[in-house]
Amino acid sequence: MRRYCLCLCSISAGEEIFKKNDDTYTETGDHSAPMVRRLVVDPSKCVGCRYCELWCSYKHEGVFSPSFSRIIVVKDDRIGLDYPIVCRMCDPAPCIEACPNDALTRGEDGIIRVVDAKCNGCGSCVEACPYGAIRLSPRLRRPLICDLCGGDEPICVKKCPTNALRLYPLAEEDLSENEKAFDKAYRYALEEHKRLMRRWGLHVR
Amino acid sequence: MSDRIYGYAGRVLRINLSTEKVKEEPLSKELIYGYLGGRGFNVRRLYHEVPKGIEPLGSRNKLMFATGPLVGIGLPLGARLNVTAKSPLTGILGDSNVGGHFAAEMKYAGFDQIIIEGASRRPVYIYIHDGDVEIVEAEGIWGLSISKAYDIIRQELGDWRIQIAIIGPAAENLVLFSGIFFNVYRPAARTGLGAVMASKMIKAIVVRGDGYVEVARPRDFERFVEELEEAIYAHEQYWPRRSMGTSRILLAANRLGFLPAKHFTEPVVDYAFKVSGERLAIEYNVKNRACFSCILPCSRFYVIKNGELAGTYGEGPEYEALAGMTVRIGNDDLDYALKAIELANDLGMDIISLSEVIAWAMELYERGLLSRKETDGLDLSWGNMEAVLRLIEMIAYREGFGDLLADGVAKAAKRLGKGLDLAFHVKGLEMIQADPRGLKGYGLGFAVASRGADHLRSEPFIELSDNPDVGRRLFGEPEATLRLGVRGKGRLVAYYENWCALVDSLEVCKNIAENMEILPPSKMVEALRIVVGINMSVDDIMKVGERIVNVERAYIVRKGIRRSDDMLPRRFLREPMPKGPSAGHTIELERMLDEYYRARGWDPETGIPTVEKLEELGLDYVIDDLMSHGIRLKKASGSRQSSPP
Repeated sequence: MRRYCLCLCSISAGEEIFKKNDDTYTETGDHSAPMVRRLVVDPSKCVGCRYCELWCSYKHEGVFSPSFSRIIVVKDDRIGLDYPIVCRMCDPAPCIEACPNDALTRGEDGIIRVVDAKCNGCGSCVEACPYGAIRLSPRLRRPLICDLCGGDEPICVKKCPTNALRLYPLAEEDLSENEKAFDKAYRYALEEHKRLMRRWGLHVR
Repeated sequence: MSDRIYGYAGRVLRINLSTEKVKEEPLSKELIYGYLGGRGFNVRRLYHEVPKGIEPLGSRNKLMFATGPLVGIGLPLGARLNVTAKSPLTGILGDSNVGGHFAAEMKYAGFDQIIIEGASRRPVYIYIHDGDVEIVEAEGIWGLSISKAYDIIRQELGDWRIQIAIIGPAAENLVLFSGIFFNVYRPAARTGLGAVMASKMIKAIVVRGDGYVEVARPRDFERFVEELEEAIYAHEQYWPRRSMGTSRILLAANRLGFLPAKHFTEPVVDYAFKVSGERLAIEYNVKNRACFSCILPCSRFYVIKNGELAGTYGEGPEYEALAGMTVRIGNDDLDYALKAIELANDLGMDIISLSEVIAWAMELYERGLLSRKETDGLDLSWGNMEAVLRLIEMIAYREGFGDLLADGVAKAAKRLGKGLDLAFHVKGLEMIQADPRGLKGYGLGFAVASRGADHLRSEPFIELSDNPDVGRRLFGEPEATLRLGVRGKGRLVAYYENWCALVDSLEVCKNIAENMEILPPSKMVEALRIVVGINMSVDDIMKVGERIVNVERAYIVRKGIRRSDDMLPRRFLREPMPKGPSAGHTIELERMLDEYYRARGWDPETGIPTVEKLEELGLDYVIDDLMSHGIRLKKASGSRQSSPP
């Protein structure tokens, strides 16, 4: 089974990117395998308050500082850009492959973890991550990678004031009967809407 | 990190541009206990370090940035910063408060306060990162608009995480009401601090840091924050504020009849909806934006969809800018108002002051007191936005008639020798977008505010409740909380001034902390115990607020401010409100002032703090200093005077 990263960029993305990203949602192969949970982002809702960054750094490092956060909100005030970047748990993961010391491992839950004893803070994983979702901790020079706070309730999801963050998948639903029942306009709209629903954390097919 | 002070970065940065010397100082415990942060820190230092007689645009003025202990931690309302210097616009206290992300980043860079001294000979920007300071040549960006300078500095440093304080062409041309803009859309606009920064030849100040802030009692803090979150989310004002920010005030002000339309001649207008926050929310706003660590994202990003200005976009506007570029100047075209606001922002001006100088000129023009020759050919009829857009540029670049207005309305009226009664300012600072005849506590607040006509020093919003029971309970006087009432306003304003001084010193959001009453003094005490680890009572903390107000008062008393300066323009005292729900009202200022000085423990004849009051607040240095300036301080039993040297 091969899973791809969840690409959820899209507020203003064009058709092409939509298409490309849509593939990445498709869980190919064995559907009975346990579904790995990931953090999904609805960037259209993000207001750039960085409350997630603060509470992430506090929960993991005991201090308040965006530089110690595992979620990064990219901002450009002039053009109104607020976009949370976080580990997408790619499989295969470029960061794991790039690590010269085998210091990154993936658990059953899909979470990529750092083996402290093996990590020398070289930063190869930072370079390798295609999303810029990994940084080194300023204090210990260890990679900061989202661990979903262990799984059930990431603090960023809990603290986000606008519902821009969720765990995926929250539920599974097959909408293909609707797809068959209605006309082209509906089918097109449904395809688009499914993308939106996935950003809500719902697993729809 | 053992000497780390919880809640604070613990250090003060002093940069002297004349000598290019940089110095770090520890944050003193005395400053923390006596003044808490932000506005308190700056005012205390300004009092000491910028003595009487300093030229505001000379190298001996100091420009200070300070934030507070509740910023940079996961408190859902702490993001503010105070910028302070002697004001070139008013010659008294220059001070302005701003939100955004700069304050927190400054703490992560290692500093609670940054003091800029001296002046550079050539344009520079200052790059402060993780305790290091670089003074970078800025010849190439001098003259650029705020948004262009913002883009170029970010690209040059190759880091989108930096936070920038920038000045625009208006400041460079020493427009006396130019502001300092934080990442494009958030200005510390009032009292002309942009011109102070320009006089030091600083185009921008950049901060960036990987530091962190710790709190004293983490477990208590988590619980405390959860309580605040619930109080904020459950508040009845949460969603109106989230959808409209303060732009929602325009329609409310029209309903209650205190709009400043056509230069305070029309308290109600029939086109209010056309220029309202409600209309912005429906037709223009595309997303919300937030200050750092705020869960009430009240700022809005807008795009103009139709018409000749289609494609214009930006953030805001808040009520003051919105009403300033619409009703105050008689303009009912929202698109053009947004364009004017964007232009004024990009050139770097305070839109409150700007709206007054334009509205003042328009009233003179409409009354035939100002000729088209004097305005350099501009037709300044009410609402002529083509002329307004041109005039904004003329002011920013000090061209022709714009040069006159660039000095602010008080100096412009004096220079022109006309319209002195119509120049709506207090102590040289232009009035905000509310007619004090319809909001009498606010009116008293404008008259006594330490930086000149301004609502943010007191913001006695509670009078809008029009609920006499609240006034009876809190101030022993039902009229205190009736917006058209007079009795009890002195006590009301004094209390709210003390509270606002605390809000500005802890550097939390005034809308959430004070207007929504999320952080009353009792909660501030709890926050300080949990975050900083200091135990203060409500009385103790209110004394801090009162101390800050008294130091500010002493600062302006030293500059010669007396009771006769705590005055409102004649229109509000003598001309009854022409129509609407506040029709027939003037503002009974003298009666309210008497009560205010009594509530303050200041001499009602002069408005100077008494010896007893200053002693009670531990301000012995102020007593000595004022007496050394030959200022008589009253005592209950006679007066104390300086002894001859």
